[in-house]
Amino acid sequence: MFADYLLGLFATEPRRAKAVYNVCRGRRTVSTLFAGLTYQELAWLDSWHGVPLEKFEAAAQTLVEAGWLTAPQAGYWQLTPAGEAQQVKLKKTLYQPVAWQQFQQVDVRRFTALSQLALQVVSEYSHQAKRYYPVTTDPGIQAVVKGWFRRWRSADLVAMIVTELREFLTTLSTELATIFVQSLTGYEQPGQTDQQLAEQFNRSVVEILVIRKDLSCQWVAWLQAHPDGPLADLLRPLVKINSVSTSAWQTYQTFLQTPDLDQIAGRRHLKLSTVREHLLETAILITDFPFDRLLTPTIVAPLDQLFGSETAVSTWRFDQVQAAAPILDFFWFRLYQIMRCQRAA
Amino acid sequence: MQRDEIYQLLKQKYGFDEFRPGQYQVISDLLAGQDVLAVLPTGTGKSLIYQFAGTLLPGLVVVISPLISLMQDQVAHLNYQGEKQVAALTSQVDFQTRQLTLRQLPQLKFLFVSPEMLKQPAVLTAIQRVKLALLVVDEAHCISTWGPDFRPDYLGLGQLKQQLGSPLTLMLTATATAQVRQDIVQQLQVPQAQQVIYSMNRPNIYLAVANLSNEADKRERLRQLLTTAATPAIVYFSSKKQTELIAEWLRSTTNLRVAAYHAGLSAEDRFKIQQQYMTGQLDVICATSAFGMGLNKADVRLVIHYHLPTTLADYVQEIGRAGRDGQQSLAVLLYAPGDEQLVRNLNELTMASANQIQADYQRFQQQQPVPDELAAVLQFYWEHHYSVSQVVDIFDARQRQKQRELQQLLAYIQTADCRRAILMSHFGEATVPHREACCQLAGGAIPLAELGLTAGSVTTTPTTTSWKSLLDQLFLQKI
Repeated sequence: MFADYLLGLFATEPRRAKAVYNVCRGRRTVSTLFAGLTYQELAWLDSWHGVPLEKFEAAAQTLVEAGWLTAPQAGYWQLTPAGEAQQVKLKKTLYQPVAWQQFQQVDVRRFTALSQLALQVVSEYSHQAKRYYPVTTDPGIQAVVKGWFRRWRSADLVAMIVTELREFLTTLSTELATIFVQSLTGYEQPGQTDQQLAEQFNRSVVEILVIRKDLSCQWVAWLQAHPDGPLADLLRPLVKINSVSTSAWQTYQTFLQTPDLDQIAGRRHLKLSTVREHLLETAILITDFPFDRLLTPTIVAPLDQLFGSETAVSTWRFDQVQAAAPILDFFWFRLYQIMRCQRAA
Repeated sequence: MQRDEIYQLLKQKYGFDEFRPGQYQVISDLLAGQDVLAVLPTGTGKSLIYQFAGTLLPGLVVVISPLISLMQDQVAHLNYQGEKQVAALTSQVDFQTRQLTLRQLPQLKFLFVSPEMLKQPAVLTAIQRVKLALLVVDEAHCISTWGPDFRPDYLGLGQLKQQLGSPLTLMLTATATAQVRQDIVQQLQVPQAQQVIYSMNRPNIYLAVANLSNEADKRERLRQLLTTAATPAIVYFSSKKQTELIAEWLRSTTNLRVAAYHAGLSAEDRFKIQQQYMTGQLDVICATSAFGMGLNKADVRLVIHYHLPTTLADYVQEIGRAGRDGQQSLAVLLYAPGDEQLVRNLNELTMASANQIQADYQRFQQQQPVPDELAAVLQFYWEHHYSVSQVVDIFDARQRQKQRELQQLLAYIQTADCRRAILMSHFGEATVPHREACCQLAGGAIPLAELGLTAGSVTTTPTTTSWKSLLDQLFLQKI
C-alpha cells in the first residue's frame, strides 16, 4: 500500500504534512526543497510525481486510524511509538528504493517511456517483425525513438543492446532482474502488468510500482556510468548537470562572478527576491555552495549566538532572529539554516 | 476512380479480395465527393473506410473520436498496419508534444482528436491551415446520446465543421435509430448526406439473459458460464472496483487467466492487457465499457454483462465485440432484481432541475467561473445564446428519453418472446423469424453444445522463466 511507504517519510518529531506531500509530487519551491533538506528526504523529490492530494491525505488518514501517526498540531504529523516500531518493521520487509535520487537530475519518467519503446523496437527488429502494436502512441516518444533507431540501426545493434542489458541485469538480484525483463514489451511478449508481477512475486502492486521506478533509476545510473552505448544516447538529452533548475543555475553562475545581489538582479533582469530564491535553491541542491561569500562574519555572529549549539534546524524560529538582530531579514536566516544542514551532513 | 482500381488497391494494401458489406458503397460515395452517414454493424471494419479513402484523397484525415483509449487503440492499429503519419492529440499528450504535432500537421495523414480538443483555438487554427481530405465523426451516435447533457461540444461540431471550410464528411456508427440519424445530420448540418444503412443484426451472436435472484447467484452463474462456455470472453461491469474484485475472485477460484481492465490503469498496463488478450495469453477480461472499442480481436466467443448496459444501443455495441470472425458466439446478460437502479443512478448524474439551470444562468451572467461538470455543460448553452426555458426543455427531454431507454432495456430482459426481434424493432428494422440458434427464450437453457460453444481444455498457468532465457526470447541474435 502507498500508506506503507508514506509512513516511512515521517519521524518522531513533527513534520509538515504539506511539505512532505510537495516533496513527493516534486514541487520545487524553496520551502519544499528546504523541507526536503531538513527532513533528509531530497532523494524522494518528485518520486510520486502527480500524486493527488486526496490520495495522500486518505493514506495518511489510514495511518492515523491505525495509531501510527498523530497530529501534534494542525498540518503536522509525527510518528507515535507504535508507528515508529511499524516503520522499523516495514523498512525490513518492504522494498526500499536505492536510486531515487536520479529523479532530481534526470527526467526518469520520460526515459522509462523512451526505453520501453526503444527496447520493443529492437526486439521486433531482431525477429524481423514489421507489423506490431507500439507500446506507446505518444507522438513525442515515437518521434524520438524513430530518430534514435535510424541512427543506431546496424547489424550489431541487437548484440549491443543484449550485452548492455545483460551487464546491467547481472548487477541486480534475480528477483529484480526478472521483474525488469518480465515487464518489458517485445516480440510476442506484451509484458507483465504490475498486478501480474505483484501476484507472481507475492508483493503488493504499490511495491512493484516502487521496484519498477527504482529499477528505472538504477538503469539510468548504470547507463550514465556506461555512456558509449546506444541506450545511453537515448538518455543523454534527459540528464541535467545537476538538479538545480536552469534559471537558478544561471543566476548562480552570475553570482560566482559577482557576489553583489543587486548587480545580479540587474544583469539577469530579475527581481532581487527571485535572485535570492535562486541562490537558496542552489545552496540546498549542491554540496559545495560557497556560503562564506554571502554569510559574512557580521551576519553569522548573531545567528551563531542564537543557534550555535542547536542542531534541530527545522525548529528554529525566525521571530527569535528578529528579536535579536532586527536588521537580518529572512533570506539570511534561511541561508544560514541551509549552511548548518549542509555542514552537519 | 474505377471499381477495378479500388479492388486492386484493397488487395495490394490490405490483402483482401472482398470488401465487407457497406464498405465499398461508402468509399465510392466519398470518392464521388458525397458526405456519408454510414450505419454499419459492429465488426464491419469501419476504420478501413477512412483509411482507404484517406489513401486516395490528398490531404489530412481528421477523425473525431470520443475516448482517449479508443484514439490510442486506433493510432496503434494504424501504426500496426504500417501507417506512420498518424497521431492523436489527447489531454495525455504533454504541451510540447502537442505543439510539435501541430507544427507537423502538413506531414500527417491521420489525426485523431476529441471534440473538446478540436475546439481549442490553437488546434483549430493549425488544422485550418492544412488541406483536409476528410472529416470523420467516429461513433457519431455520441452527438445524440452524449451531446445534450454530458459532452455538449458534440453539439458544437456542426459549427466547427463550418470553420474548417465544410470538408467532405463521413459519419460512422454501428447503432443509430431513425431519431439518432436525424440528430446526427441535423447537428452536423449535412442534410444532403448519403445514408448507407445496414442491419445492426449480428446473426452469429446468440442472445441470452440469465434472470437471477441476487448478487451471489450472479457471481456463481458468471463462474459457471466462464468455466463451461468457450472463451476468449469479455465480462462488462459498470464499476472499476468490481472489475478488479471479480477478476481476482475468478483467478483464485478457477484455472482461467483473467485480468481487469478499466480507465484507472496506466496506459502501459492497458496496452499489456489488450495485447495479452489479443495474443491468447488471457482467457477473460473483466472490463468497464472502455475496453474493446478499438479492439481488433476476431475470435471473442463470449460477452457477458455482469451489470446492465445503459441502453440497448450500448448493449449492441458491446456484444458486437464477439464473433467478428463470423463464427458462432454468445452474449449473456446477467440480471438480478434492482440492477436497474445502477442505471438510474448513472442517469441522474446528468440530471439538472429547472432551479439548478436557472441558478447557473445567473452564475454565467455574473461572469463567475465554472464550478462543476454540470455548469461546464450548461456553459455551452449560455455561450450559444439558449434561453433558460429552452435548456430546461432539453434536459427534461433527455431524462425522459433515458427513462424510455431503460424501459426498453428491461423489456429486452423480461420478454417471453424472441430477444432479437426486440433489438431489431428497437432500431426500426423488420424482424427475422426466430430459430434455435437465435436466442434463449424465457426459461430455456443455453444450448452450448448445439452452438458448438462448450469450453475447451483447461489452460495452465505458465511457469516463470529465468530472465536470461526471457531476454533471449525477446532479442533474437543470429549466431
